[in-house]
Amino acid sequence: MARYLVRSLVQLLLTVAGVMTVTFFLMRAIPGDPALYMLGDYATTDAVASLRAKLGLDRPLLSQYAVFVRQTVSGDLGNSVVTGQPAMTEVASSLPWSAALTLSGMFIAIVIGVPLGIVSASRQGTWLDRTVMVSALLGISFPVFWFGLVAILVLSHWAGLFPTLGAGGGTGLWDDIHHLILPAVVLGVSVAAYIARLTRSAMLEVLGQDYIRVARAMGVSESRILYRLALRNALVPILAVIGVTFAWSLGNAILIEVVFSRPGLGTTIMKAVLSRDYQLVQAGLLVLATAVVLVNTLFNVLYGIIDPRLRTR
Amino acid sequence: MTTLMTSSTTKVDPDAAMPATGRFAPMLAHPGLMAGAGILIILVLVAVFAPWLAPHSPTKTDLMATLAPPSLTFPLGTDQFGRDVLSRLIWGARVSLQVALAVVVLSLSIGSLLGALAGYAGGWIERIITIVNDVLLAFPGFLLALAIVAARGSSLQSIVLAVSIAYVPRVAVVMRAVVLTIKPKPFIEASHAIGVSNFRILVKHIIPNATPPVIVVATVSAATAILAEAGLSFLGLGVQPPTPTWGNIISDGQTSIVEHPLISISAGLCIAATVIALNLMGDGLRDTLDPQMRRQTGLKAL
Repeated sequence: MARYLVRSLVQLLLTVAGVMTVTFFLMRAIPGDPALYMLGDYATTDAVASLRAKLGLDRPLLSQYAVFVRQTVSGDLGNSVVTGQPAMTEVASSLPWSAALTLSGMFIAIVIGVPLGIVSASRQGTWLDRTVMVSALLGISFPVFWFGLVAILVLSHWAGLFPTLGAGGGTGLWDDIHHLILPAVVLGVSVAAYIARLTRSAMLEVLGQDYIRVARAMGVSESRILYRLALRNALVPILAVIGVTFAWSLGNAILIEVVFSRPGLGTTIMKAVLSRDYQLVQAGLLVLATAVVLVNTLFNVLYGIIDPRLRTR
Repeated sequence: MTTLMTSSTTKVDPDAAMPATGRFAPMLAHPGLMAGAGILIILVLVAVFAPWLAPHSPTKTDLMATLAPPSLTFPLGTDQFGRDVLSRLIWGARVSLQVALAVVVLSLSIGSLLGALAGYAGGWIERIITIVNDVLLAFPGFLLALAIVAARGSSLQSIVLAVSIAYVPRVAVVMRAVVLTIKPKPFIEASHAIGVSNFRILVKHIIPNATPPVIVVATVSAATAILAEAGLSFLGLGVQPPTPTWGNIISDGQTSIVEHPLISISAGLCIAATVIALNLMGDGLRDTLDPQMRRQTGLKAL
């Protein structure tokens, strides 16, 4: 187990280094001059040159990269071009809002999606299976921001059950939670559709294995086959499904934050994009991608704990 | 005439040994796949014939008729600039399908090339491609697209580029898996042994075998491309107004959603119809795929 942990950790460090490198080159290798882009088409040559110097864009690419790596490792993600504040502070202050939304959304998604996927697979071909699969298809096909808008329209404007916009704040915990419910449910339902589909196919894969057929031939009861044999072996693939959907739910959370006018990383990145604050975009990208890598590693370690066979691979 | 017919039935080409009806029969018998294809064909026709189908200009504003309710002249009403919503929806099909098509072509060609290279060459080439792939997959696709649009400015090309970059690694992963599945098969070894060139093996064996699973990825990436374009346009980072896209129609309708919910809702239904069609096709193609290939390429994880 210790060796497995070390290997996961080494892989984590390599991937984070990769994420840093990709973020850096992505923001620079793309055709176009960020300085010129930030200042607009009517900027004077001098203004562009001085902004380039300020951002370090006039230095050779590799030396820019070296500076970027050194600063990032020491926790300095540069300063926001617009406010002059450290980008890290701005990102850190919006992180709790996004974490609350994503985690509660994922919780709802898992609680709805995994059982539906399992039930659907164990009753393959029945009306229950078909209903779940059609709903899941609808869930992954409607744009999540549209879901959000319709939820606000129906449940907030028409039914008056939830606040329409914002994240509360200031008037206590219940108010915060009241503001969180609707966006979290919208995020949760959209991700649940995805989880249900993938859980179903993971379950069907296991249910089609030879040892299940043998157990059935030997007269083992269906419930025992499902809960003792199939579910235990499907646990790792199901966890993998949840791991995969995490990155996806972060992308959806960005749109949901904007629809519900909630503070958060998505809103921060959006504002940064609109105000052409390229340092802040880079910082946000780095933090979100690192979060995905961390969660993936966590899941990898979890697979090893659940299924010892995976440690030796 | 008779000679032609007899020659075509007697001279059997080994590649065409499986008659077309046999190969496509499971697809034609799959209701979901056919429904998806049907919806998609209708949407393509709407997009192609938009100039003739749209009752009004999609961009002509009429400040005397803003936010008009549905009527015979304006079947779905007008938006806050007095533009006909139905005409904008019809023209919006163009942008969505253009983006989807461009993303599929771009990510499919680059992704399958990289994946085939990784699987076929092995060694350090494979390792480098795999590492870059893994890192790119760590970025939430939508975020990656957002960042590229941020760096390049918003335009149709930026969106296509952004979504393609997010999808190249997904295609490459599947393509590599396909190649790794086929490479050790005896018929490839035999081809090598009788001196068939690498290029010929690629064209005659690898590509035909890789096509079905890669097409499944293509339909899924087209669906995601449409959702991503809609999301970016909704945020105001996509195709710029006044060009109508389903995403920015939803965003236009958002300001008056309480009084005129029809604008945003109808545009959302258009997006959903397209994405459902593509997902139905993707699911159907996957169901009719060779089961062994389905398992080995990890396609069920899409």
